[in-house]
Amino acid sequence: MDCNDARSYLLAYNRGTLDAPLRLALESHLAGCPGCRHEQLADRELSTLLERLSPRQAPASLKRALHGRWERPVAGTRSSSVVRTVAAMAMGAAMAIVPVLVWRARVPDAAMVAEAVNDHLRVLYAQRPLEVESGGIHQVKPWFEGKLDFAPLTAFAGDDDFPLQGGLVGYFVDRKAAILVFRRRLHVITLFVFPSAGLRWPTVGNQTIGTARGSLETSRGFHVLLWRGADLGYALVSDTNEADLLTLGAKVVGPS
Amino acid sequence: MPVGRVDPAVYASPVTTDPLTPRDALRHTDGLFRLALRLTGSDADAEDLVQETFARALGAGSQFAAGTNLRAWLFRILRNAYIDSYRRKRSNPVHPYPNDDSDPSDAAASTREPLRGDHELERMRAMVGDDIETALATLSIDARTVILLDVEGLTESELAEVLGCSVGTIKSRLSRARAALRERLRDYSR
Repeated sequence: MDCNDARSYLLAYNRGTLDAPLRLALESHLAGCPGCRHEQLADRELSTLLERLSPRQAPASLKRALHGRWERPVAGTRSSSVVRTVAAMAMGAAMAIVPVLVWRARVPDAAMVAEAVNDHLRVLYAQRPLEVESGGIHQVKPWFEGKLDFAPLTAFAGDDDFPLQGGLVGYFVDRKAAILVFRRRLHVITLFVFPSAGLRWPTVGNQTIGTARGSLETSRGFHVLLWRGADLGYALVSDTNEADLLTLGAKVVGPS
Repeated sequence: MPVGRVDPAVYASPVTTDPLTPRDALRHTDGLFRLALRLTGSDADAEDLVQETFARALGAGSQFAAGTNLRAWLFRILRNAYIDSYRRKRSNPVHPYPNDDSDPSDAAASTREPLRGDHELERMRAMVGDDIETALATLSIDARTVILLDVEGLTESELAEVLGCSVGTIKSRLSRARAALRERLRDYSR
């Protein structure tokens, strides 16, 4: 065994995972090679040093937040038991076809709602969520030019009730989106504007939003308001109350 | 238990044959937080990174196949999320360190002759946790990742899954990373 071979086995040797023939060969080499003996001791000392790293645990507040957000099954994750699958199938068989069609006409795809909440959380938890700070909509809207292949249309420039904080480019589900961030008192409200094609939208919706129709859903404690206008889709997401979200939605839709 | 490694018993079984459940995934929060903390260098950023990891892992559209090694999968998501944020902050083509361990200073460290005699050992024995935290922070992202996940008790095949390379490559990466760390400790203690 030469020094190169010997040094490649030192970590396994110090961890006691080297098989007997190699261990004996290595020990024979170490006995006659001060350089490799030094390397073996230094590597063992490094392992001891690494044990001195603080065994930090995640803060309790982080764990509480994660458990509160994810412990309930969410859309997009798979059902965890055969029983649940069978129950779902039985329920599906029991449902009449007409109510299903009515329901689907009013309710958006659950995955779309779940993804809207995920995207909102990414904005909330980003270290620097805003790529352009708001000096008014006339500063924010031109900033999107050249960054998107569509113009994010909205008539609303923010006001005292819903001040515009700024904007950034991000994603909604699988596509690029303009993201405008508003505030309602202490609540952050995220508006996503994105091409609407290819998503499963409700044909009717369950809410009137100014002059538009859309859907208001709740997922994991967040309200999600979804609607379409021209070729664009709009999603407002926040933990503020539903009335605030509908009010802001109507302002974003604007007068007919 | 091997020296310098977390007792694997602290983890739930890393491999699951069941579909992904949030409860199983959240059992890895502490380990994910430790790696996030030593990649980002701040508690607040580490919490953001762990939140982002779970958003990617448990959110709609996540790609988890039954039988996947859950622990390795989560650490891989965290590493990728960190690299994404690293790229965004730099706003230019990615620094070469995140995707390989070809950081020239890391490679050089593995070929440099070590100090002879007992000086290096004496210095290492006198060091405390803060010293090694400081030295670790100077390593490339992948060198830090491979060392820290080895300390966390991940197997070589799990490390290979996290870093997207072969087990053979992991052996050499871990060896080079540890050599680089010793070099930094030596510089730091001078």
